[in-house]
Amino acid sequence: MRRMWAICSKELQSYFLSPTSYFAIAVYVLLSSIMFYVSFVVYQPSILDYRLILGDTLFMLLVVIPLLTMRLMSEELRQGTDELLLTSPVTATEIVMGKYLASLGLLVVLVLCNLIYPLVMSFFGPMNLPLLWLSVLGVFLMGAAMMAVGLFASSLSQHQMVSAVIGFVLLLVLWLMDSFLANSPSSSLQQWLTPFSLSGRITNLIKGVLHGPDILYYITLAALFLILSIQVVERKRWR
Amino acid sequence: MLQVQQVSKYFDQRRSVDGIDFEMQRGEIVGFLGPNGAGKTTTMRMITGYLKPTSGQIWIDGLPMHEPSRKARTKIGYLPETPPLYPDMTVNSYLRFVADLRDVPARQQKLRISEMIDRLGLQGRERQIIRSLSKGYKQRLGLAQAIIHQPDLLILDEPTSGLDPNQILEIRQLIRELGEQHTVLLSTHILPEVSTLCNRVLIINDGRIVMDGNANQLDQSLNEKFQVLLEVKTRPDKLRRLLDNWQNVSTEYLSSTEEEQQVQSIQLRLQGADDTDFRERLSLLLADARVPILELRKERLSLEDVFVKLTTDNDPSESISSTDAGPTVISSGTEPAKEDHADVETVLLEPAKTDRSKTTDGEISAITHNKGDDAK
Repeated sequence: MRRMWAICSKELQSYFLSPTSYFAIAVYVLLSSIMFYVSFVVYQPSILDYRLILGDTLFMLLVVIPLLTMRLMSEELRQGTDELLLTSPVTATEIVMGKYLASLGLLVVLVLCNLIYPLVMSFFGPMNLPLLWLSVLGVFLMGAAMMAVGLFASSLSQHQMVSAVIGFVLLLVLWLMDSFLANSPSSSLQQWLTPFSLSGRITNLIKGVLHGPDILYYITLAALFLILSIQVVERKRWR
Repeated sequence: MLQVQQVSKYFDQRRSVDGIDFEMQRGEIVGFLGPNGAGKTTTMRMITGYLKPTSGQIWIDGLPMHEPSRKARTKIGYLPETPPLYPDMTVNSYLRFVADLRDVPARQQKLRISEMIDRLGLQGRERQIIRSLSKGYKQRLGLAQAIIHQPDLLILDEPTSGLDPNQILEIRQLIRELGEQHTVLLSTHILPEVSTLCNRVLIINDGRIVMDGNANQLDQSLNEKFQVLLEVKTRPDKLRRLLDNWQNVSTEYLSSTEEEQQVQSIQLRLQGADDTDFRERLSLLLADARVPILELRKERLSLEDVFVKLTTDNDPSESISSTDAGPTVISSGTEPAKEDHADVETVLLEPAKTDRSKTTDGEISAITHNKGDDAK
């Protein structure tokens, strides 16, 4: 357990020291602020609802999360520090979980950044708070699943950019699972794929419906990719 | 302490290590020698559990390392070829991180870290970012990382590579100290390092162990003939009259002797027919002839020669043909000279030297260079 925390805190430290994470978060905040400005200040909607801008910012996670996870494993492989990790008594599970926990820490920062907008809105009138918290929970769960996918992508290559691209492609496929077959004749396949869509699953939560299977979906997705990452790391040791 | 039993490693059908078999006792410092690409690093990576052997078994203190084993990994300290450092961390936080990884109890961590910092001369750099450390300090930090948990077995992969001569001496001193408490396996291709540090030498070539023995015994066992290096001040023709046909001793002139009548300092190597010491008789002979001796030194077959012998003409299937490999062995380099002097073996060193560097693709020149450094 202590070993896992050691890895987690080391990763958090390097997140806060590396320019990449600041850059990614800054871009995220900048773009979502522009969207907020357009949809709230320019259009001046008649209702105060966080969800007005939520959809757009969620899409940006697709780009931001691979940027945040790309170095997690790739950097170790490139620096040769994987030799330290894999020859110490640390297990592959501890390595992967430590890194994943650190990425969740960063996700919390991202979600907190997102809360600026409802805070601004709250000056203009009462907000529907339960709805807001459910949306936040939805964003966090989805982000957590995406972080696991990114971590997996990072364990595949020692080049950060390659990892980022793999992560982005994987996430894009999962995201568009329900829509990229929308116009195809085989609607049964589409029906079959829809439940696995990353973006489709969050709609209930945003609507304010706490639906067990949705939460289970994100947790399962995260667990699946974490297990895959553990396998990849373990395989590195037993090449 | 360490048992390596019939360990082989294949990378995609390419054989890297082929049935290596050795044991190490507690308290030994073993030098692991071999040319580049001989399989040193692969073997060390298997011992540390970074790579899994294709076949064979590795036991560390009775614990299997060829299977996933956390316990066996707690017993080793490992310094890879490039120290595994995180450039963004400070020295202190890095050591704390490693202490956590290596299961150093929280109560002892502070003590252990300050001990490491003292021992490796890292005082005053605790808060420095690793990126800004010099190569020597990085290497020290790499060593600190390997010994912070007081492992039983220490594996060092070329611990002195890329350091300047002073740093090399410091690191060697450190390894010698470590050898008092730990069992050490260190790889290197700097030969004098082995003779100064290790009490046992393993020479590996092409994935196989070609020599296993005591560093001192090693040159004795292969040094069949007694050799001395001599420097005198006299006329070459006078020296030739004295030494040619003298007691079956062959001479090899190392300096030019073109101006036969001129008094000059002449360097030469003398080789007896067997291992009997002829230094006394030689000095008396020269004294009687009133030839001043500037230097007289017993020459042992250096580890370098042993190394070259073992790693070049050991396997006849190697790309080096037997005619090329010939001159690398001192005694067989005598053939061309024999034609000039029927009864005296005179080895021309220069051609032999060029042949030697030809056969071993630059590796040897590096070794000779390093030996020079060490002699200083």
